[in-house]
Amino acid sequence: MAQESQKGVKHIVCAVRGAPESRSTVNRAIELALESGARLTFFHAVDAEFLAYATVAPLSLVHRELHEMGVFLMMILCDRARRRGVAEVEHVVREGNVKKLLRQMARESDADILVMGRPSRRSRRSLFKEKEFETFVPELEREGRFKVEVVTHLPQAET
Amino acid sequence: MPTAIVTIALLLLTITPLAAQPDPIIVGRVGNSQGAPVQGVQVRAFPLSAPEAIALTETQPDGRYALPLKRPLPAALSIEFRRPHFTTGRHDLSGEQMSFLNSSNPVVLLNATLPRHRGVAFWLTTILFLSMLVMMAVGKTHNTLAAMIATAGLFGVSYIGRLFRDDLYIIDFVDAVRFIDWNVVFLIMGMMIVIAIVERTGIFQWLALRSFEISKGRLKILLPVLMLVTGVTSAFLDNITTMLLMTPITIQICLALGIHPFTFLMPEIFAANVIGISTLVGTPTNILIGSYARISFNDFLLNLTPGVLLSFAGLIGYCLFIYRDELNKGVTISEDLLDHLRERARITEPEHLRKAGWVGLGMLVLFVFGEYAHLLPSVTALMGATAMLAWIEPDVEEMIEAVDWTTLVFFICLFMVVGSIQEVGLIAVIADGISWAVGKSLILAMLAVLWAGALLSTVIANIPFTASMLPVIGYLTGSIPGAESKALFYCLSVGSAMGGNGSLIGASANMVTAGISERAGYPITYLYFLKKGFPALLVTVSLATIWLLIRFIVF
Repeated sequence: MAQESQKGVKHIVCAVRGAPESRSTVNRAIELALESGARLTFFHAVDAEFLAYATVAPLSLVHRELHEMGVFLMMILCDRARRRGVAEVEHVVREGNVKKLLRQMARESDADILVMGRPSRRSRRSLFKEKEFETFVPELEREGRFKVEVVTHLPQAET
Repeated sequence: MPTAIVTIALLLLTITPLAAQPDPIIVGRVGNSQGAPVQGVQVRAFPLSAPEAIALTETQPDGRYALPLKRPLPAALSIEFRRPHFTTGRHDLSGEQMSFLNSSNPVVLLNATLPRHRGVAFWLTTILFLSMLVMMAVGKTHNTLAAMIATAGLFGVSYIGRLFRDDLYIIDFVDAVRFIDWNVVFLIMGMMIVIAIVERTGIFQWLALRSFEISKGRLKILLPVLMLVTGVTSAFLDNITTMLLMTPITIQICLALGIHPFTFLMPEIFAANVIGISTLVGTPTNILIGSYARISFNDFLLNLTPGVLLSFAGLIGYCLFIYRDELNKGVTISEDLLDHLRERARITEPEHLRKAGWVGLGMLVLFVFGEYAHLLPSVTALMGATAMLAWIEPDVEEMIEAVDWTTLVFFICLFMVVGSIQEVGLIAVIADGISWAVGKSLILAMLAVLWAGALLSTVIANIPFTASMLPVIGYLTGSIPGAESKALFYCLSVGSAMGGNGSLIGASANMVTAGISERAGYPITYLYFLKKGFPALLVTVSLATIWLLIRFIVF
């Protein structure tokens, strides 16, 4: 998406996992917040559906731990944004299916821009398939009445 | 019971002159081709001239039977031995045997050997069993559902198929239920309640953060300390719960220190899989092995712990080596983030933890000394769970809900599936194959079970693998000189658990760790796990092999 003037932008939401590969998405959201002086919210969805396929109970405690881990990841991002000079920054962590939560956030939020990463072509673990993502973004824009800024990820680092 | 009947028969012989002639009786034992007793064989007596049986009985668990006959006897008799999945045997009594039955000492001894019959049922059962393993390995189907599908398939073929063809019978419900090891089911259930109570105290998070504080942020010390904490915890609780609770806090510690989470996560998984086998309750595979082979809590501690410590020492060295770059990296500690972790990693319910600690100690005493009172581990686990529920008074409904019924159903179905492959003779085929390969050498058998177990556990889920191998190992233990020390069962324990480190799908703990790590944006790929995990398997299993050979061959 072409970069436009950020005049009138009051609230930016950045939907991320918090991983190293989200770095460019986070950086872009911070840049936009600095340009516009808008409030920045990092949005993280905790999806614990994978537990259903392990021989293990969906313990409420595990969900709580996953939630806490999400909060921690977002705290790191908030810290980074503050250090770079973003005045107003917060985070939201929710549990459930990521796509549904994104739609719900779109309906409820007053955001002007949603920044999110493009699914990697090489990664089998991407939440969206490429074509699915192309149709999901316009739907989200319609539902949320905001602009979606899509950022291409950098390759992920492994130790 | 047959012994009693023989005794009665002998008593009858001694009083014959004083009483009327006793009824004749045929006694004996039925075994399979390997000489093992065969239970449930129908033994029937037919007059040679008539198709209808005049007497009927069934063999007992030790393969013995006693077939009482009524006078007057027909001129000639034929004895038939019939059991599904075995070739029917028929023995015509000789003239001498008939005259003996008609005499005043009417006891005839008749042993029989029934060879296996591999018919349609054998192949269908094999297909259903392999399909279950494939479903579990592929991971698209829930393990419990895969086991249920296989069980339903076995019953479907047995009950519905039998309407069309007799040889489609595999197993009936009553026989299948006999294979369920309730000691395992109740032990796992009891431990789940204990874990549900303990985990709510915040002990895991507290332990992880204490490890960080003890090491004062020095990564080369923090790594073995975290490995030890994870390993020791997994020796008393199950590996999956340990990793479910350790993974999020470990990732957070790593991020607060500015290092890659795999640096600590992978060694923690390895440690859980290695140290977990030191106790009877540390892994589901040990629970299965302990119950089947009657190996006590103490036996596991005495026979495996030295080997586990040796493997663990090697594992620490290996992990320090493969993550040396990350561990030598300068650490950037974020005090704000660490403060947040300190705030969270508190013991949330100290009073509950104190009570749980006392009950846990009592359970440990019962696990260790209970064998002298023939106290089954499942009884100790249930007593401990009940004591915690009564003393700590948590929400009972919530605690019972915390029991993973899906896992219990998985075990129940798995036992029935494994029982079926035992019933149709697949286990005997595998056992014969191993027997043929290793001959009578205990060393070869130990190496085969240990290494085949470890390597197969990298591709097959270790719980169904272990459950399937138990009767095989039971057979080998009975046929290889020196194996009565249960050495092969310890080899199976080490192989199946440490083999879990070889690949991502090798153990459930690996999968849940990878799941959580992926949620944090750090996916552990299959290839990455293989690259780091397979050498860990080689290191730990090699060291464990040395110990097991010293323990069972040298001493």
